[in-house]
Parts: sequence; C-alpha cells; structure tokens
Amino acid sequence: MIRLNNITVKFDDFTALHNISVHVKEGEFFTFLGPSGCGKTTTLRTLTGFIEPVSGSVVAAGRDITHVPIEERNIGIVFQSYALFPTMTVYDNIAFGLRVKRMKKAQVDEKVREIARKVDLSEEQLKKAVSQLSGGQQQRVAIARALVTNPSIICMDEPLSNLDAKLRVQLRNELKKMQEDFGITTIYVTHDQEEALTLSDRIAVFNKGRIEQIGTPNEVYNHSATEFVCNFIGDINHLSEPVVHALKENGASVNPTLHNYIRLERIHVNTTPGQNDLELPGRVAKMEYYGLYIKYYIDLGCQTMKVIERNDGVNIYAAGQNVRIVINPGDIMAYPPGTEEVPS
Amino acid sequence: MNAPRGKYEQSKGHGTGYVGTGGHGAGNACTGKRLGWLRPAALVKLIGILSFAYLFFGFMVLPCLNTLTSIFTTKNASGQIDPWAVIRFFFAGNMKRYVWNSLKLALFLIVTVNVVGVSAVLLTEYFDIRGARILRLGYMTTLIYSGVALVTGYLFLYDRNGILTTALVNAFPGMNPNWFSGFNAVLFTMTFACTSNHMLFLRNAIRGIDYNTVEAARNMGAKPFTVLRRVVFPTLLPTMFSLTVMTFITGLCAMSAPTLLGYDSINPEIVRLAGSSAADEAFPQARAALLSIILAVFTILLLTVLSSYERKGHYLSVSKTKARLQKQKITNPIANALAHLYAYVLFVIYMTPVVMIVVFSFQTYGAIRMKRLDPGSWTLINFFGTEDYEYLTSRGSYRLRKGSISGLFSNEATLGGIRMSFFLSAIAAFLACLIVVIACNYIFRNRKNLKGLVMEYCMLFPWLLPTILICYSYRTYFNSESIWYVGFNNLYYGERVRLLIILAYTVVKLPFSLRMIKAAFYAIDEELEDAARNLGSSGLRTFLQVKLPIILPSVLAVFALNFNALFTEYDMSATFASSYGTSYAMVIQSMCDEEGLYGYNVNASGRRCASTVFIMLVSGLILYLVYGVGGRDLGERLALKEKRRKRLERIKARLGRGL
Repeated sequence: MIRLNNITVKFDDFTALHNISVHVKEGEFFTFLGPSGCGKTTTLRTLTGFIEPVSGSVVAAGRDITHVPIEERNIGIVFQSYALFPTMTVYDNIAFGLRVKRMKKAQVDEKVREIARKVDLSEEQLKKAVSQLSGGQQQRVAIARALVTNPSIICMDEPLSNLDAKLRVQLRNELKKMQEDFGITTIYVTHDQEEALTLSDRIAVFNKGRIEQIGTPNEVYNHSATEFVCNFIGDINHLSEPVVHALKENGASVNPTLHNYIRLERIHVNTTPGQNDLELPGRVAKMEYYGLYIKYYIDLGCQTMKVIERNDGVNIYAAGQNVRIVINPGDIMAYPPGTEEVPS
Repeated sequence: MNAPRGKYEQSKGHGTGYVGTGGHGAGNACTGKRLGWLRPAALVKLIGILSFAYLFFGFMVLPCLNTLTSIFTTKNASGQIDPWAVIRFFFAGNMKRYVWNSLKLALFLIVTVNVVGVSAVLLTEYFDIRGARILRLGYMTTLIYSGVALVTGYLFLYDRNGILTTALVNAFPGMNPNWFSGFNAVLFTMTFACTSNHMLFLRNAIRGIDYNTVEAARNMGAKPFTVLRRVVFPTLLPTMFSLTVMTFITGLCAMSAPTLLGYDSINPEIVRLAGSSAADEAFPQARAALLSIILAVFTILLLTVLSSYERKGHYLSVSKTKARLQKQKITNPIANALAHLYAYVLFVIYMTPVVMIVVFSFQTYGAIRMKRLDPGSWTLINFFGTEDYEYLTSRGSYRLRKGSISGLFSNEATLGGIRMSFFLSAIAAFLACLIVVIACNYIFRNRKNLKGLVMEYCMLFPWLLPTILICYSYRTYFNSESIWYVGFNNLYYGERVRLLIILAYTVVKLPFSLRMIKAAFYAIDEELEDAARNLGSSGLRTFLQVKLPIILPSVLAVFALNFNALFTEYDMSATFASSYGTSYAMVIQSMCDEEGLYGYNVNASGRRCASTVFIMLVSGLILYLVYGVGGRDLGERLALKEKRRKRLERIKARLGRGL
C-alpha cells in the first residue's frame, strides 16, 4: 500500500532521517513510535508531502508520490491540535475539502451528513462552532474532515496527546473501532508506548532518525530487536554483573559480556520454581499498591529488582519481609553493548 | 535543498519534479522557469514587490532623507552653502530651550504617568477597593477622550476663568488663578492623558499573573506589600519598561498640549518654523529639520534600548494550571482608607472634565461662556442649533455672522472638519490595515528567512522617525513639481494635500498596526495552514477563508484604534497646515481662538463641548463594536443567536396565548 524507500531528510546540516524504509500494508493500523525528536513526525510529514526528502521515494498504491503536491496525494491527516478552523461551524469544517474540490452543494451536504453519522456527530452538533464541542467531539470532527474526501490513507499525528488520561483511553478505543469500521490504512504517530501497543497492528520504533525495529506489538515488546527498543517499550530490569554471575553459577546460560534484561512481570515472588527456573533470595525494600497489581522493589544485596505481581489479595508482602524471586533464564533478553544511549 | 515545503507555489515554480516535466529533458527547465515568471501568482508577486519598493522608497525614505540632508545645504548670510550654520545657530540662539523643555517634560512625565498609571491599575485590578468597576470605567475615559478634545476639556475647567479654578480661587483667595498654564498645565494634562496605555497593557499584564505565586509567597510568610514588591512587580517590569519608553517618546514629541497650553517645546516650534519663511527669520526650514533630527535621534536611541531589553527575554509564567488573580485586601484600616481616598480622588480628576463637558454641552452658550451651570436652561442648540448670530451694524441694519451660533451639525466649518477627518482617517486606517495584513502574511510565510526580516524592518521604519519629521518632510519634499514618481505634481498644492495627509496617516500607523496584527498572525496554529493545504486549498483560499477570519477581530481592533486616534488627530494636520486639509481637531483648536475673537456672541464654546461629546460617542461606539461585538468568537455568536431565537419564540408563544 505505502512504501517509504530509503528516505533521507536533512534540515541544513542536521540529518533528521537516515535512510528510512517502511512498508505499510493495506488496511493496516501502523504506528510510528519513539521519543521526542526521533523523526517519527518528520517521516509522517515526508509521507504527506510537507517535507521533501533529499533522497529516497514515497510510493502509494504503486504510484511514486515523492514529488506529488500535498493536495494531490489523497492522504487525510488528523493533526495533533486537530487544526479545526475556529471561524467555521462543524459542518463547514467537514465540508471544506469537498468545497475546495468544487463539488455540488447537494453532494457536499450528502457526504457531510453521511460521514457525520458514521463518526457519531449529531445534526445539532453540525451547526455548532468547534469551540462549543468537547475534546472527544472535536476529535471526531477532525477524523470526519480527514475521511470525507475518501482518502486512501489516513495519518494521525499524536491526536490524543492534548487530552486528559481518562478521555485518552476512551477515545483510543473509539479510534480503533472507527479504523476497523472504515477499514482504512492508518498511520499513527505517538510517543506513548501503551497507545502504540493497544492500537497497532504493527509498530515501527524510531530512534535518532533511524528505525530500530518494525514488528507486531508482541514482537517489539517480548522480542525487542535492540537494547533501545527493549528499554523504550515497557519497564525493565537491567541485570547487574553480580546478578548475572549469580544466575550463571546457578546454571543459567547467560552471557556476562552482553547487556542482560528481564521484564518485571517475568519475575515472580515466592512461587514454586519450574523446571528451568532459578531462585535468588532478597528482601522487599518497598511495595507500591496499584489495585490490579502490586509492584515490589526487591533488594538482592547487589541490585534492587522491580517485580510486578497480580494482586490476588492473599500473597502480599510487606516492606522488610524476606522473599525469594524466581526467574526463568529463557525470559532474559541480551544485547551486545552498543554505542547508542538507552532511554531512562 | 530539502526543507519543509513552506509554499507549494515555490516548489512548483522552481522545482523540476512535477510541473510540466513529464518526458522533458533538462533543456526544458529554463522554459519552465520562464513560464514560471509568467504565471499569475508570480506576476502578482512581482507587482507586489514593485509597489512595495515604490511606497517604501518614494514615501518613507526619500522625503525623510531630503529633510535630513537639508541641514547641510543651508546657505549663510553671504549666500554660500554652510553646513554648520544651523548647528552654530542652535548653540548660539534659543533653540536649546525647546530641546531642554521637551526633555524636561518627558522626564517628569515618566514619573507622574507611571505613578498615576500604575496606581490606577493596582487599585482596580490588584487591591480590593470598593467600586473598582466604576473606578476602572473612570480611569479608562481617556481611551475615548484624548488629544485636543481632552486638552480643551481641561482648559474648560482649569484655565484662568475655568469652573474649578474659579471655585478654588474663591475658596483660597491667595491661590494663583493662572496656575494652569505652561509646564504645570501640560504636565498635569498629559499625566492623565497618557495613562490609557497603562489601563490597556499593564492591566493585561497584571491579569496574567499566576495567583498561586502570590499564595506561595504569602504561605512563606511574606506580607502583602512584600508580595507586591518582590513577586508582582518583577513580573510587571517588562511591560512597565515598555510603557516608560513610550511615555518618554510621547512627552518628547508632545504637540497638542504644549500648543494649546502655551509651552515652548520641540514639536510646536517645528510646526511654527515650517510655516515661516526665510524673509522672517534665519533658515527656518533647516532649523525645523534640525529639531526633527534631534527628536529622531532620541526616538531611535530609546527604541534601540527597548528592543535590546525585549530581546533579553521576559518573565514567563511556567505554571501549567494558572490560577486567576484574586483581589488583595488591605488589612491595615488606615492604609485601606487612604487607598480608597486616593482612588476616588483620581476618579474625580478623570471624570470631572468628562462630566462637565457632557453637562455643559446641553447648556446655552451664555452659561458655557460664563461657566456657570444654569439648571433651568437645558438646550440641544450646541448640537442641532441652526440659527446664526444677528447683530446690529453701525448703519442700523442687521447682519448675520455665518456659522457663529449654529450647533455642531449645522456649523459649516465644524461639519467640514468632521467630514474631512472622518474620510481621511477611515481611508488611512483601512490602508494601514490592508498593507499590514498583506505584509504580515508575507512575513509569516518568510519568517525563517531574510526576506521576512527585511519586510518587517521596512514596515517598522516610520517608528524610528517622529511623526512630525515625517509630516514636515512630506510638506517640504512634495511641495514641488519636480518629483518624477508622483507625475511631477505638487502634492502639497490645493486639494492634493489630502492625498498627502492620507499617505502620512497611513505611514505613521504602519508600525503600530504591524506589531498588533503580526501578533495575531503568529497566534494562528500552523497546523491550520497545513490542514487547509492537505485538503487541497490554494494559498489565496487558505488566506481568505482560514487565516483572515481568524485575524479579523484583531484587524478590526487595529482599524478602530487607528481610526479613533486619527479622527481626533491634531499634530500631523497642524504640521501640514493647509486649508484644504483642515481636520476636526484643528477646527476644535480654532474654536478656542474664536472665543477670544468674537466674544460671547459666538457659540464656539458650546460647539467645542458638543464636539467633545460627539468624539466620545464615536470613539466609544467604535470600541464597543470592535471589542464588544467583533471580539466574540463564532461559538459566542452562535450561542447568542440561539438565545435570541429562543427568546423570540417565547415572546411569540406568549403573544399567541394572549391572542
């Protein structure tokens, strides 16, 4: 559907994108994920035509659109701020693109009302000014405006970042449902890993203008390709040298010359070890109660290990209590020491 | 090579990628470029650049340059060019006095205007003073009542025969009845006239303070006045500094108050010299030019200081959840009583001229001349009176003194002034807004490159020069038939002077308009433009349908402020001093002279009061339309429409039930 082939973008002497290549399939929900300034928005703006690459090509539906003007690319955009025209009503906002295309009035009216129904905007709301709508309703208007011209692709640049936490979760689900209903290829930009993991079919993790990994949410989370990805996605324990040696002495096949990591939920407290599991003694230094789960900070003497346990209401350990942590060496992810700085 | 595609048109014009390149070789790139210049957009751009260059060089640079160089082409008594003649004259004669007087006035004004302005803002916005809303309205009257109208209003109260002076002399027989003249009068009048900016800008600054910072300071044990001094004042300092600089420049360039109240300062002297000839005194034109340059040097110096201060950066609230400022109670009862007393004394000073002028505008001309309120004789003659004074001649016949008694809307001279000022101001205010909107769009689109910066500085150029220098330059430079780019026409001759006045008004209003409208442009979310382009909108359509409606309230506000300022403007029209361009303010000023000339039979005083009321009404109406009606966003307008519709339905239903 969309191919970015060896895209390089420069701003004067600064190289914002280094030879990026991405292939997004038709109907896919594809997310560009990464920290601020990593190049994800630049990639999106290159795809939509706001930035012209120094080298490489952008291909959509088999057609090279690298030098095609923005308005001829047939790509809808939902902006971070929604970019709704404040001096127009909701109706006029949605109709803007159709009017630019000099569509007949009746046709414009039909299309606006049809898309409004699909995104759940009422007749009353169509007459309102955008400032009279809530954040969620504004988002629906932005999506309707982007979809009404029947684009082949829709791009969303952090559309949930301006909302409060509760609304963000609510709208995230609505967004996913809408994308499934419309079946439109969607490219989504975010720095929020949770958002990326819950929404996406596939994710491209960006770092310093390069793509570190492209994969399904499960692949990037459980099989992180690089040390950066494994640190950026989710919380993780970096195993210190003494812990690695202790595990090795207990028979685990870990390589001390590599950087070894283990996710919090892969460690268990006081459970019966399985066949390949190893045990290490420790003491609960601190516990954080989250309701659904409990986070423990277990002091192993040489390192404090973070552990997440499901809250079963029975096995709860207080600070100062001596415990055992159980680790399966197979859950350890190891990476060669790189030069790249890992996110904290 | 690759940069954010600022303008699609640019890529189209110069790129070789997709405009008419399909299947063409490299040789066609040249053709493409040539054709690019023939495109309508490129032609419009070329015409725009040429027009801008014509206006900038023809009506800003060349006339002023002519004035500046005129000093060095002065001929001495023996008819030889002597570049130092004027300078020698300056040090030998009394020209120094004008400079010193202006400087003295400016320095004193810095203190008095800041004391009154800052205290007025604190009393209405920061401290909990009873009746603050009413007080605020009183302090803001100078927004609709300024310039010549204000000065004549003050004269009405405070001059030798003024109501208040008479009352004070009766109460204190030892008091000097001429206290309101010269420096004292100018300082007093301008102190209150110049606080409008404090009421607009300092008020906004104080409202922007995060109340949490005040609470935090109080929580840490700071007393209310310590909070004011250590927390509140530092945040207001940048605004106060800007206001101080502007006040200093206003004092230095003061014109109407010194002219009407009799104070020898630079600007009135420039105007006098501009109307003088070499037969009357030594090189008057060059002396006027020298004084203008002295003003320009001070202005440039101060604006440089201001600009470098602004570049240092200001206090910015880092609060993500800003709390609205709450009024501070003055806990000490004596301090509280004194603050209330001071607030109401200020209110009385601000309001008395306004109230008196309004009240006396409905009195007969006899009562006005005698400055004695006659509760039994209310009249509308000052507004709508049509009769003229008839007097008995020595031959025993009656003669009519045309335009002597008739009211504001019947008196030919007054109506002529109103018409003249209305049209000249409206055209100039519109032109200034139009030029600035086009320029701002250009600056905004080229904000990251030199072109935008050059355009911005060109538009700010008139700020470097005092208004009087510009007008004086126009008067002398275009008073000739040798200027090729205006078709060898003498623009100072006859009715053409009106064109010159419009040009001067427009040029003088460019910097202020630019500052205000540019801020509105920069407040536009950049993603809106991207969104419009993504939806296929052209640059022109995006400008007209997306950007212009957003900035329109600001443009209208600037238009209103420009119009209000120009409608009652005196300084510039007085510099042109042409009978073909007699402005409303000049007519008002001449009414003061008429009173002296024709005695009590002439209704100049009544018309003057009525004129001031008329100005207040016009200014107030325009400010209401722009800020009150025009300031509403689409949401507010729709909500109001809905409310009105429902109200109408309720009335219809009630009527239906009644029938």
